[in-house]
Amino acid sequence: MASDWKSFEPVLIPDIPNLDKIDNYIKNGGYKALEKVVKENGWTPEKVVNEVKEANIRGRGGAGFNAGLKWSFMPKPDGGPRYLACNGDESEPGTFKDRKIFEYNPHLFIEGALIAAYAMQITTIYVYIRGEYYSWIKMMEKALQDARDKGFIGKNLFGTDFSVEFEVTGGAGAYICGEETSMLESLEGKRGYPRVKPPFPAQKGLWGRPTTINNIETLANVPGVINNGANWFKNIGAENHPGPVLYGISGHVNRPGVYELPSGVPVMDLINEVAQGVRGGKKLKALIPGGSSTPVLRADQLDGVSMDADSLREAGSMMGTAGMMVMDEDTDMVDVLWRISHFYHHESCGQCTPCREGTGWLEKILLKIKNGEGEIRDLDLLLDLTTQMEGRTICALADAAAWPVRHTINRFRDEFEARCKKSVHAVA
Amino acid sequence: MPEIFIDGKRYEFEEGEDRGLLQFILDNGKEVPFFCYHPSMSAPANCRQCYVKVGTPVKNRETGEYELDENGEREIRWFPKMQTSCTTQMQDGMVVHTQETSEEVARAQKDTMELILINHPLDCPICDQAGECPLQIQTYKYGPEGSRFEVKKQHKPKRIQLGPRVTLDAERCINCTRCVRFTDEISESHQLTIVARGDKNYPMAAPGREFDDPYSMNTVDICPVGALTSTDFRFKARVWEMNQTPSIDITNGKGTNIDLWTRDNLVMRITPRFNGEVNDHWMPDAGRDAYQRFNENRLSRPAIKLDGDNQSKTSWNNAIETFAETLESHGPEDVLVVGSPHASVEENYALMKVFNLWGVNNFKFAPHIEEGTGDGFLITDDQAPNTSGVKLLGYEESNDLASEVKNTKIVIMLSDELIDRGVLSKDDLKGKFSILLSTNECDTAKTADLVIPVTCIAEHAASYVNVEGRIQRSFPAKETKYTNRSLDLEMNQGRLDRFGTNFDNWVTEENKVDCAPAWEIMNQLANRMGLDVSFGRGREIMEEIAGSNPAFENVSYERMDNEMGINLNPSNKQEATA
Amino acid sequence: MEETYEFTKEDLDEIEAIKAKFPEVMPATLPTLWVAQRRFGHVEPPVQRLVAETLGLPESHVHGVATFYTQYYKERKGKYVLDVCTTTSCQLCGGYKMLHYLEDKLGIKAGETTEDGLFSIQSVECLGACGYAPMMQITNDVYVNNLTEEKLDKVIDSLKDGKMPEFESVGMPLLENINNK
Ligand SMILES: Cc1cc2nc3c(=O)[nH]c(=O)nc-3n(C[C@H](O)[C@H](O)[C@H](O)COP(=O)(O)O)c2cc1C
Ligand code: SF4
Ligand code: SF4
Ligand code: SF4
Ligand code: FES
Ligand code: FES
Repeated sequence: MASDWKSFEPVLIPDIPNLDKIDNYIKNGGYKALEKVVKENGWTPEKVVNEVKEANIRGRGGAGFNAGLKWSFMPKPDGGPRYLACNGDESEPGTFKDRKIFEYNPHLFIEGALIAAYAMQITTIYVYIRGEYYSWIKMMEKALQDARDKGFIGKNLFGTDFSVEFEVTGGAGAYICGEETSMLESLEGKRGYPRVKPPFPAQKGLWGRPTTINNIETLANVPGVINNGANWFKNIGAENHPGPVLYGISGHVNRPGVYELPSGVPVMDLINEVAQGVRGGKKLKALIPGGSSTPVLRADQLDGVSMDADSLREAGSMMGTAGMMVMDEDTDMVDVLWRISHFYHHESCGQCTPCREGTGWLEKILLKIKNGEGEIRDLDLLLDLTTQMEGRTICALADAAAWPVRHTINRFRDEFEARCKKSVHAVA
Repeated sequence: MPEIFIDGKRYEFEEGEDRGLLQFILDNGKEVPFFCYHPSMSAPANCRQCYVKVGTPVKNRETGEYELDENGEREIRWFPKMQTSCTTQMQDGMVVHTQETSEEVARAQKDTMELILINHPLDCPICDQAGECPLQIQTYKYGPEGSRFEVKKQHKPKRIQLGPRVTLDAERCINCTRCVRFTDEISESHQLTIVARGDKNYPMAAPGREFDDPYSMNTVDICPVGALTSTDFRFKARVWEMNQTPSIDITNGKGTNIDLWTRDNLVMRITPRFNGEVNDHWMPDAGRDAYQRFNENRLSRPAIKLDGDNQSKTSWNNAIETFAETLESHGPEDVLVVGSPHASVEENYALMKVFNLWGVNNFKFAPHIEEGTGDGFLITDDQAPNTSGVKLLGYEESNDLASEVKNTKIVIMLSDELIDRGVLSKDDLKGKFSILLSTNECDTAKTADLVIPVTCIAEHAASYVNVEGRIQRSFPAKETKYTNRSLDLEMNQGRLDRFGTNFDNWVTEENKVDCAPAWEIMNQLANRMGLDVSFGRGREIMEEIAGSNPAFENVSYERMDNEMGINLNPSNKQEATA
Repeated sequence: MEETYEFTKEDLDEIEAIKAKFPEVMPATLPTLWVAQRRFGHVEPPVQRLVAETLGLPESHVHGVATFYTQYYKERKGKYVLDVCTTTSCQLCGGYKMLHYLEDKLGIKAGETTEDGLFSIQSVECLGACGYAPMMQITNDVYVNNLTEEKLDKVIDSLKDGKMPEFESVGMPLLENINNK
């Protein structure tokens, strides 16, 4: 199925100029899906939830959770406020796709979020965008104003009694605020400390009220599902992880960028055909398939692997955000791993012990190894530490920090050992 | 009743129990190590120390019965990850393994300890917290043997004066956020925050601002390490050199439960003692300074004015003799007895009983209220610990003591610095014979014609009735010239001798004050005057009061000890149960 | 003497509009710090205090927030802050080389500011432009993509003339050539 990716027509960011202009978006069928669900009696909120659940839009923020299923966790409305928080924090290294939606097709996302709001009886939508994306925040502000002016946001949409507010707000430099509960804290104006779960956001989210969090790309898939049906969506790409995907390809390739293709495209097609191969005619060494927290795969592990959750799990990695980082034969894996560890050390919120202390320790040992002062036993200590951190913290940042260390060392052990001092331990 | 199995033992708990699993474990006398959890504040679950393994029994969907395994035991579905017990809600049938029965849990706790310690300085020998440090104790019990940390430690600010009373050593901080939560949730001053991020973070006040919260020192108590220390107490004494004695805060009317920490008959510091009905785990900073009154400027040996305004020390015999002679040269109608909201029920009672028997019927007291100083929490407008007590004994409240004094010839005052606090002036006492039984040097003592030193709350067992009508009592924490802690039953009984050792030397004679309990002085006076009264210790006096004054019905030291104080006010009692 | 800071009428209107987005005041903390930083160029302690006073929130809260997020300048920086990304994709594509080139060119190290107060350099974490590596962001505003030494020279020259580079729209690469294959 995925082999026919070449004939795929993009749906999230189609090749239509000026879609960011609302009139143009409407001319091309925009906001029809919203109008349909809000106005037509047949489209009850439950039906929208079920349709989206059936489509199996797996969250594009990294965890891959079925969006419709998540929506169905919202408790019954009790008359009080309910929130949808759209995650535009986009800070997992290797990921730069949601900004394409903000820039080229913002109304598709806005429409998707509004449909989600209708389905969950949301009263206010917030879109939280990382602070560095100042230019894109401005674009979203403009797009939201246009949508408001056209009557797609506000009171009594399409003359019905469905009303919803939609606001954009920004971060200020903190990767952790992409973690959903940290984002809620940040939205509430606080330090971005992830929350202990339970209670889950659907029970107690923003200001203690029911809240759902979805990634931008996830929501941008919703209008298509409403317009064309769940089956249409399910027939795109990989069976267990269907739909279009915004692949971000970076690193040592000839043509890096964001590409919209069906899920499940073979990894090697993406590298060699889509991104036009490794730079300078060099050999491929390794790939980080879905943002820096997903385990690195050696070139020899990539045969027959395609970009969908199942295939990548089998290969020993994860889909993550589909932010693929390609490394050529000259890449120094010790350097790469140290830099990744530096990132997670720098971004740990510092709230819980294993992550606050562990991320720093990992980085410091890796720096020592990078500087040629490590010993073989340090490698085992590193591996040990990853088990002391994984699954022992409030949020998954510690896991994200641990996985790359474990897998990079295991998959490139020789390279790490070669950098270590020949200590007594190594001889013995 | 729902049941829970912890390390193989069955416990029952109430339906709808809001205690978390950790608190339940602790309340049942078991232990799981923890740092960030505090029973009176929200649970951030950030230390990750309190891990346990948790499972729930599998129920058959149709029958609702528990599924059994081949051995006939309930089939347990284990949570995929270990759980922090502080945030785990108990469920019927839940099965819990602590470090006692699970290798995996013991290992996880050791792992967390190792990580907590990597950036922690090895300061125990010079750290005030040593000896009462949860980190030290739990490292010893559950921590790793050595350290595998061979890289550079994270450095952070040390010896920061966060405010007038609290010093921060950020390197010792384990980021449990208890201090910040205290200012957010308990004192609500919002003066602290964690700054920065990751392993660089630590608590601070806003730049250029002082952490001068009137409750700031509670953060020192709840800090699980030596990161926050009392600026006053820093380096003064090691914990194991001190004895800990329960007592009551006398600096206001709340009756905050406290502990007095003594070494060689000096009170070294005061800390709050938990009482859920009164002060929870907290106390105001002001109450902690009171220890100075117990040690310094004490009235020691009686004093008498012989020529004009000059006082000189005199013997106890002479003092009692002068007291008696002065009374005998006048009549009971010439005497005003001023009771004190600053003195205990027993002291006020003894005075009243003796003079009443002799025929006096003029018993007054001046409340010590400063409107507007109360905060609705633990600081009251009432500046005295026993206003309710004096009232219940029958002393009449007087808002113009000066005119009462005018119409009398002899003024007998109990532990109240009436001149110092502006109730009386020196001139008011001119031409009167004034007798003061009191604890500390002050202008009132300087003015009195006869000064008799009495024991302070740190030296006697006596009771105080707080603003809410709750009677609570003290224990002697330090010796006087005439007491000996190995002979004084109250002292032996009351000493929660957690850290006192056989080697501590209470030898410095100057630290013992030459004073006696007011009731003993009344004994001697009554004896000299041929009155038929004799008081035993505070405990017996209270029995007597309970038998004669309906307001104190059924009150006894035993009950006060068992019930952490007794509410005397029936209307309050109803409120409490309603 | 500590400088005093005041919001303009415009700023205050903007802050009111921000507050109107939320059911409480606290959520306005981050956006108001932004308003302050855009007005004063930094959020040193007196500015943090102004934000706290304006919003009626505890100073410690504002301080805690300001120090959590890296984009707020807790101390003064140069007029142009050059945030060079050195995270993985940029590292792979020469991010450190660009950083060091800038350091040599301006004679300062990452984290420092030139004496004339014009430039600061920072080595920062992934800015979400990994496909256009190496890249940098200037003073929390425009992204400059696909850096080369020549490109850096040009950018520095134009910044010295007070000209910020324009926003660069990096499109979606078209797949036609593949589809036609
Ligand atoms: C450390 C960490 C960082 C994350 N960063 C992001 C992010 O930048 N953007 C995002 O959409 N999701 C991010 N996530 C995932 C979110 O927590 C959440 O699962 C997601 O936004 C849910 O949306 P989805 O179900 O539509 O994917 C992050 C998770 C973790 C643990
Ligand atoms: S795992 Fe790391 S980032 Fe997540 S809450 Fe704990 S310290 Fe913060
Ligand atoms: S805080 Fe505890 S463990 Fe740390 S130095 Fe002090 S006494 Fe030792
Ligand atoms: S100073 Fe003490 S109470 Fe405050 S966070 Fe640190 S360890 Fe916890
Ligand atoms: S006590 Fe800190 S996590 Fe439970
Ligand atoms: S790694 Fe530099 S922008 Fe993502």
